[in-house]
Amino acid sequence: MQVAQISTDPQGQGSDVFMEEAALTALRPALFARYNALDSLRYDYPLVLIEGEEVEKPLMPLCHIVDEALRLVAPQGPDGEELRQQVLRLEQRMREKVAAGAEEKLSELWRISVSELVTESGQSAFGPLDQNLDRARQTITLDGRVIGCTEATPGKVLAHVWQSMHLARARKFRYKVDRLVLRLNDILKSDHIKSDEAHSPEALSKSMGLDGDNSIDFGVLSNILHRVRPEDRLPADRVARIKHVLQVLQTQAFFGPGRATYSYPDKAVCYSYVFQSCTEALDAYRDRLPSVIEFSKALAIAEMEVENKYVPDLHDGVFANFDESDLTEEQMAFLPPAMIFLRDGVTESSEISRAYEALACGLPIKVMIQVDDILGPTSPEPPRNSFGAGTARLASMAMGINNAFVVQGSSAHMTRMQDAMVRAMHYGGSAMFSIYSGATKTVPGVPAYILAAAATEARLFPNFSYDPSAGPDLASRFDLSANPQMEKDWPEHTLRYEDPTGVRKEEVVSFTYGDFALADTRYHRFCEAIERKSWSGDMVPFEEWLETSGGSDAIKRAYVQGVDRQDALMRVVVDDKIVAAARRCKDAWNRLQELAGINNSYVLAQLAEERRKREALLAELSSDAASPAAVEPAQPVAEAAQPTAEPQAASEEEDSVAAEVMDDMPWIETSRCTTCNECRQINDQLFGYNENMQAFIADPDAGTYRQLVEAAEGCQVSIIHPGKPRNPAEPDLDDLMERAKPFL
Amino acid sequence: MTASMSQCLMQMVQTDYQIADYQSDITPRWCTGCGDNAILTAMQRLCRDEQLPPEKTVCVSGIGCASRLPHYMNAYGFHGIHGRALPIAEGIKIRRPDLSVFVTTGDGDCCSIGAAHWIHAVRYNMNMTMLLHDNNVYGLTKKQASPTSPKGLKSNTTPFGATLNPLNPLSVTLGISNVSFVAQVPDWIPELLYDVLSKAYHHKGFSFIRILQRCPNFMNHHFDAAVQDPLRVRMLTHADGLRLKPELSRIYKNQETHDPLDLNRAQALAMLDEEIPVGVLYSNPHVPCYDELRKGKRPSTPQLVETVLNEEFDKVGIWPEGQQATSNGE
Ligand SMILES: Cc1ncc(C[n+]2csc(CCOP(=O)(O)OP(=O)(O)O)c2C)c(N)n1
Ligand code: SF4
Ligand code: SF4
Repeated sequence: MQVAQISTDPQGQGSDVFMEEAALTALRPALFARYNALDSLRYDYPLVLIEGEEVEKPLMPLCHIVDEALRLVAPQGPDGEELRQQVLRLEQRMREKVAAGAEEKLSELWRISVSELVTESGQSAFGPLDQNLDRARQTITLDGRVIGCTEATPGKVLAHVWQSMHLARARKFRYKVDRLVLRLNDILKSDHIKSDEAHSPEALSKSMGLDGDNSIDFGVLSNILHRVRPEDRLPADRVARIKHVLQVLQTQAFFGPGRATYSYPDKAVCYSYVFQSCTEALDAYRDRLPSVIEFSKALAIAEMEVENKYVPDLHDGVFANFDESDLTEEQMAFLPPAMIFLRDGVTESSEISRAYEALACGLPIKVMIQVDDILGPTSPEPPRNSFGAGTARLASMAMGINNAFVVQGSSAHMTRMQDAMVRAMHYGGSAMFSIYSGATKTVPGVPAYILAAAATEARLFPNFSYDPSAGPDLASRFDLSANPQMEKDWPEHTLRYEDPTGVRKEEVVSFTYGDFALADTRYHRFCEAIERKSWSGDMVPFEEWLETSGGSDAIKRAYVQGVDRQDALMRVVVDDKIVAAARRCKDAWNRLQELAGINNSYVLAQLAEERRKREALLAELSSDAASPAAVEPAQPVAEAAQPTAEPQAASEEEDSVAAEVMDDMPWIETSRCTTCNECRQINDQLFGYNENMQAFIADPDAGTYRQLVEAAEGCQVSIIHPGKPRNPAEPDLDDLMERAKPFL
Repeated sequence: MTASMSQCLMQMVQTDYQIADYQSDITPRWCTGCGDNAILTAMQRLCRDEQLPPEKTVCVSGIGCASRLPHYMNAYGFHGIHGRALPIAEGIKIRRPDLSVFVTTGDGDCCSIGAAHWIHAVRYNMNMTMLLHDNNVYGLTKKQASPTSPKGLKSNTTPFGATLNPLNPLSVTLGISNVSFVAQVPDWIPELLYDVLSKAYHHKGFSFIRILQRCPNFMNHHFDAAVQDPLRVRMLTHADGLRLKPELSRIYKNQETHDPLDLNRAQALAMLDEEIPVGVLYSNPHVPCYDELRKGKRPSTPQLVETVLNEEFDKVGIWPEGQQATSNGE
């Protein structure tokens, strides 16, 4: 990290009035000084918007991609050092190009920058430098537009995250719809094959392709096929239903065909889902609703048809009455949500309130509201508030809707917030993104990235997300962790500077609302820069001043640390109005902290109560000298568990047949029957099959004893037992009984 | 997904398939006493108990007595050519993963002419169930020796007795890479036949069952020793394999607890000489399946196929000046 050199003003001469004005117009918060040379720092920007259908992280800082490439090709130590320096120089060149406004794909930016560096080095193409850089490039498998941090960044980032989600949904959509289309076509095809048309000599000849020597007589073939074709055609209403569903699925306008070409004549042009106003989006939603309903019905019918589970008597009624109130969240989440880009201060305020109504209805919309000016004018100009009051109102209000996904973040922290943004895009319901661009017109000379980061640091625009699908309670839904030092009221930093004698000093300072206000020229009227020579003991650091009851001590004045154009350190005394606004800002931050479980007032109150009780008890114990030192712990009262009664041992299973009783009756060990049919061929009245197709004696009087004995002899697994003859008049009984002996 | 709506609606349609729903109009033409009958019944019982819609079930076979089975099942069927049931079944499965695929084959069909397909089907480990009806003989061609015929068997092709030792389908299968399920069961213990078939059906991957099948017509009494002496059968039991009911346990006292994941022991059991191992020799659900590995990101619709082909052709196409191949984006 670079350490800014901040020196106190060595001159400090000249007229007071002039001095004050010059100092104020160039005044910046002291902590900004270390980012003077932003272009040479490696930070979140340039940012690469990673392309592809299945990217896990759609945003990646250029320097992370370069670091990963270096890790792969340039080992630590002298061996890799040359390559490392070359690649870092290349990164620096790409950084400069982006800062100058270039916006290319990474691959292209890389190519242009390499060719410049190679030319400047005097080497030829394919020379050592070119080859080295190419080695690094080979390791980079991803690509995408490289953007800087500007006024346009929130829109570009959100459009990209929406697009990534859209591609993923499109893939899922096509997988399902294409599969259904194929399967439904299969059903129609297999039915068509049974038709006269499919068996006509012409159709047969066509399906055969070239038959050069006319050796096949398609007329004869057609006759043969005609004779043997199956008769079970699909019912006409089923065919019509499938055809209709196919038509709806194939002409849908929600997603494009992706890679495949579609050649349906009446295929609609795909809907656009990106809007610049809420009214347009809601109009489109209403216009498209009939096709959403039609499609959702068709999809459900298709799924049932391919499972052969559509029963007209049961289901026709359901679909005839199906309307928008029957649409499920899953059905909506299968189609694209609308993405609406709004801008605080630019978009008409009525549009913004419409957006809230739409969010509250849970419509499938994703709204981004870009904020460019946090503090606003110095006096209220409704609907614009002043002093940043209600800064985070947009996102906080959306959180009140309770079932909308809400993400608030500044441009500087897009990478950090991307997981929440991706989840919000995929979330089935509505989502709201409130993004501060850092491009505030009244703050000249401060890069958007720095101002955006400062807004988060100063707790004016905290990063947070609220995910209604994450769980039942705030602890799982609300996330404040993407803020710097989130346990503290204000984040702390080390300010390094030289005092007038040239000695280096360090001081821990907080970055507060006061510091942020100092950057905005409109608020300079509430600030007074004081040179070192006029510093006095009645000046109190801003954050300390906020801790006091405030105002009571009329002599003391709150100051923040600023620097002028030459990076000379100044104290800037601020007006009470800024102090009051800072208190409101801190208060809002503390409420967010409470939501995130930090310094939760209920918990704190309970802790205090517990502590009070414990102290009271201790005091009582120590005052009561007669009490025994330790109370005998009470004997555990629970008795040893009674041994549970052993479950009754399952009685030995009885033999499947009570032999004694059955001795005289013919019987079969049914569960061993192998369904060979031998016995049933002898007599299928005497021998029957049970529900598992295994033989049993169906009617002992339906056949002769001879048949029983012969079946017993024939049974391959010897499970037929003929018993005793039931008709004493049957001939040859003696002989049969002798033969039956082995099977008794 | 919309599945929730269609699923709800589909639940309104109750099915209650009975065994008769899986019986075709054709009466089996197998000889009386043929073990194939028992196998057909076990399969129909499984279909009923799993309530497999007949239109979602396919039986594929090659040529032989055993291979007649698809005719007797009221389901989709493919009576293929000799030894080629498996490639056909693989084609069906890859295109229609939603179907339950059963392959019936004989020891001649599988172990001689179809041996190459058998080996590769095991290695591909696609999700289907294969039943090898092993009667140790070519039945359909009227008693010709098969690769599993015992040495010395006198048959029409080996009038002086089979010369070679038989091939062991169990140890062969266990030796093929990616093997994931191997079981053996005789056709004459219906309860076990059903249990093993059910285990195989529920296994994810290619399940191979060798069924010792009686052919009373040409190999009468061939398995009698084992049919009549329960001690000749070694029952492999395990919580993840077969669990014997008390009645069977009382008859088949020769039991061994065998972990179906123990491949080495499975090999040793497959080679048993005097005894017949019965049960699940090997079962490993974690072997990757070719049909899953190769599952496309997108179904191959005719439009997609056409586009991809055109893209390939365009790579070698020559374009008139100023023209370019048009590609279709989002
Ligand atoms: C390509 C070809 N070669 C040979 C045959 C003749 N043939 C028909 S069935 C068969 C053997 C069947 O034996 P197996 O697979 O054991 O079935 P089983 O009949 O015993 O059930 C043979 C060789 C044929 N049909 N096709
Ligand atoms: S003969 Fe025996 S095995 Fe065959 S069907 Fe009859 S009882 Fe069952
Ligand atoms: S010949 Fe053998 S295998 Fe073929 S049907 Fe007859 S008994 Fe069964």
